[in-house]
This record gives sequence, structure tokens and C-alpha cells, in this order.
Amino acid sequence: MALTALEEQALTEINLSQAKPFHLTEYLRLVRVVSVVVFLLLWEIFGRDVNPLFLSYPTAIANAFVQLLASGEFERQALGSLKVYAVGLTASLVLGIFFGLLMGRYRLVEYLLDPYVYALDATPRVALIPLLLLWFGLGDPAKIAVVFLSGVFPVLMNTFSGVRTVSSSLVDVGKAYGAREGKIFTKIIVPAALPFIMAGVRLAVGRALIGIITAEMFTAVTGMGALLIRYSSAFATDKFFVPVIFLALLGVILSAAVEASQKRMAPWKETERAL
Amino acid sequence: MAASLDEKIIEELRFRRERAWSIYDHPNLIRAASVTIFLAAWEFYGRRTDPLLLTYPTAVVWAAVQLLRSGELIRQLLLSLASLAVGFGASLLLGVGLGLIMGRSRVGEAVLEPHINALYATPQVALTPLLMMWFGLGFEVKVIIIFLFAFFPILINTAIGVKNVSASMVEVGRAYMASPRQILFKVVFPAALPFIMAGVRLAVGRGLVGMIVAELFTAITGLGAMLTLYGNLFETAKMFVVVIVLGLLGVGLIQATQLLEKRMARWKETERAVN
Repeated sequence: MALTALEEQALTEINLSQAKPFHLTEYLRLVRVVSVVVFLLLWEIFGRDVNPLFLSYPTAIANAFVQLLASGEFERQALGSLKVYAVGLTASLVLGIFFGLLMGRYRLVEYLLDPYVYALDATPRVALIPLLLLWFGLGDPAKIAVVFLSGVFPVLMNTFSGVRTVSSSLVDVGKAYGAREGKIFTKIIVPAALPFIMAGVRLAVGRALIGIITAEMFTAVTGMGALLIRYSSAFATDKFFVPVIFLALLGVILSAAVEASQKRMAPWKETERAL
Repeated sequence: MAASLDEKIIEELRFRRERAWSIYDHPNLIRAASVTIFLAAWEFYGRRTDPLLLTYPTAVVWAAVQLLRSGELIRQLLLSLASLAVGFGASLLLGVGLGLIMGRSRVGEAVLEPHINALYATPQVALTPLLMMWFGLGFEVKVIIIFLFAFFPILINTAIGVKNVSASMVEVGRAYMASPRQILFKVVFPAALPFIMAGVRLAVGRGLVGMIVAELFTAITGLGAMLTLYGNLFETAKMFVVVIVLGLLGVGLIQATQLLEKRMARWKETERAVN
């Protein structure tokens, strides 16, 4: 807004110039960058002084990352983990949505199954890992079972409550127009419950990732979790941080991917929160 | 009287509102039948299976009696609860404290946020081997792992809650000459309390998972250590006892938090967790 000469004069006279004093809140991005840089620098400086068995430092980690990639070891273990993760997660999505739909739509199924669902959902899943290892051994089946159990309940519970919130007038309209039960599911209930289902999927993706890491750490044979145990037992702290960083990035990428597909698939209700 | 006339008309027109007996009016009957059949089938097949792998309900009950009588279960439970209390208390104090700072100060937020986000994105379970390397296998490492698991939901919910406090409330406080401290404790904190409590509820569950993970891996004391021990001894019935205790503990703690949430933040109890 242009000021007239008179106004300018008045402003300077009463010292109300619009130049504000320097204020840190206007440089928040800079503060963020400085914070990270200072942290990394301090880590590098102090990390070099500490016994490398206990603490590593950023350049050593970067170096370890290059080494592990070059040897192909990291890639092999990561692919093994991802395969198990994909199988277990798919199973938990398919079965979670299936039983969630049935429990939401049919009260008989709900009453038959809900004691088990609530009991298993309340039990911390990590407590089941020793039992699952006993039953399925140390190989992939046990890991798949852990991933499945970690992921299935958020999907099932969210699908269930999503179906329960579908307004009955929508279903009645469908019935009035002669839709069969199958059509009611695919054309009315699933689309209406989709935002809830996707919120459950997003939770499940994160929980299943934690499940696979815990299972692999416990069996300590193959996969990313086994690498974590192996490097920490060998006091190879620099290598230890490589799978940690990889897992953090994987978690961020996966949940961003689900969020993006959530927006695409259920754009009409994207504010729906996880239950 | 009009009522008796109505009654009579209803009687005459056979408009009695009695419905036929329906199983759906007695959901607990269905549930009870479902659980009974499940337990009976488990008992039946469990007795025929190798007891090293699968147990059966009466054996679990018997194992529970044994563990209770020897005092082993109570002793380990108390050890677990002690570490949970200390770790959770620390995450509550630091989480709310730092959350208030991040919510109130944009510079503070910019300094802390990158680190918080990076740590939050990392599956905490992946850090446990490192923590065990740093802090050994005792009580200390359990407390730190529990702290790490429970800290982030409290911190993030507090920060979001504080940011959501309406500016007009703070301005009214200022207009009445409240000191910054009074504004923090009399205006901001109570207004953010529903969010904080939602974070606490999430944190309780995660703290319990942290406790089990820590005890499974350190395998020295606590309920998690019992799981590992009995798993190695193939004492499946005793494992089930521990799993059930952990499930009950999870349900009990979450119920207690919900009760506390309703009492402490009555004015906004519908507020959802911000995950």
C-alpha cells in the first residue's frame, strides 16, 4: 500500500516506521536447518572422541552405508524382510477387511467373534511372539504370523466401525431398488466405509513394520531385525545405524504412500481419523 | 383415563408390541456360547496334541494357580510395574514439558521438531539393541526403553493441544494482567488437557509394549523375561498365563486412563487422539 508523502512524514515524525526489528520467528526454516547442522556437527565431534564400540559418528555411518550397499548384504536382507512384510500385511488386509465387513453387517458374526477380537486386540502382540516362534519355528512362517497379527486388528476394528456408521437409509435405498446382498456390499457399504478402512490400513502399515522388526530381532536369523542384532552384538555401531535409518525412511515412505492413496481412493472424507 | 383407553384399543387391534423371541436380543448368550464352544474344542484337541506345543484351558488354569502360589507371578509383575511406572512417569513429565515449549514457542518448535520427527519416525523397537549396549541389561535400560516408547505420543499431542488453544483465551488472560506463568498454567494447560490425556492414553499402551520388548530382550526380570524363560523350557501353559496377565494389564491400564481422562478433561471428552 502506497503511503502519501504526508503520511510518510507523520510516520517518521512519531517514529512509527514499518521496519521491524530482527526477530527469530521470521527465520524458522533457518532455525531448523541450523538445529540439524549443529546436532550433526556435535555428534561428529564428540562421536570421534568416544570409544567407537559405543557411539559412532555421521561420516562413519555414511561410510558404513556405502560399504553395506557395495557388499550386497544389506540389499539381500532388506528384500527378505520386505517379502515377508508384504505377504503378512496382505493377509492382514484381506482377512481384516473381510471379517470387519462381516462383523459390521451381521450381528450374529459380530457377537460370535467380538470376544476374541477384543481379547486379542487388548493383548500386546509382542507378548505373543515367543509363542508364535514355538509354533512356527524361526523361519518365514513365524514372521508372517507376527506381521499378520500386528496388522490385522487395526484394519478389522476400523472396517467394523466404518460399516457400523454406514447410514441405514443408504442400505434401504439400495434394497428398495432391488440390489442383492453382494451389490449392497460392493456398491454401498464398501465405498461408504472406505475412509475408515483406509485409516485402519495406515495404522496397520506402521504396526506391521514394527512387528516384522521385532520378530526378526527375536529370531535373529535373517532380515533387517537380524542385522540390528548382529551389528549390535558385534559392537559395529556404525553399521547398526544403517538399518535403523533405512527403517525410519521406510516407515515415512509407506505411511506417506498410504496417505496419498487414501486421498485418491476416499477423497470425499479425507478428514476421517483413525479410531 | 386416556392411557387405559389406549391400552384397550391396542388390545383390540392386536397391536401388542411384543416381538417374537429373537437371539439378537441376547448378544451375551451368543458370546457365551461362542466362548464355551471354543474353550471346549481347545480342551478336547489340546489334550491330544503334544503338550510341548499346545496346552489346554484347564492346564493353563492349573499353571496360573501354581505360579500364584509360588509368588513368582506377583514378584515379576511388581518388577515390571515398577519399571513401567518410572519410565512412564519420566515420559509424562518430559513429554508435557517439552510439548508446552514446542506449542508455545515457534522458535523452540523449529529447534526441536526435526529431531523429534526423525526419532518418532524410527521404529523405536529398532533402537533397543543400541540402548542395551549403552545401558546394560538392568532396570535402567527397561526404564529408558519404556520412556522412549511412551514419550512421543504425549509430546506430540501436548504440542498440538497447546497450538490449538484459542488465541482469544490467551488474550483475555493478558488483558487481565496474567503473568506468562499464570497464562501457561491457568489458561493454556487446562485448555490443552483433553489432547494431553488422549496422548497419555496412547502412551500407556505403547509403554506396555516397550516394557514387554525390553524384558523379552534383556530376559532377566519381569513378565517378558518369564515369557522367554517358559518359551525356552517349552512350558506352554505357563506362557499362556503370562500372556493373559499382560492382556488383562493392557485392558486395565487403558480403562484406568480413560476413566482419568473423563474425570480430568470432562469439558471436552469427545476429543480424539491426534496420531
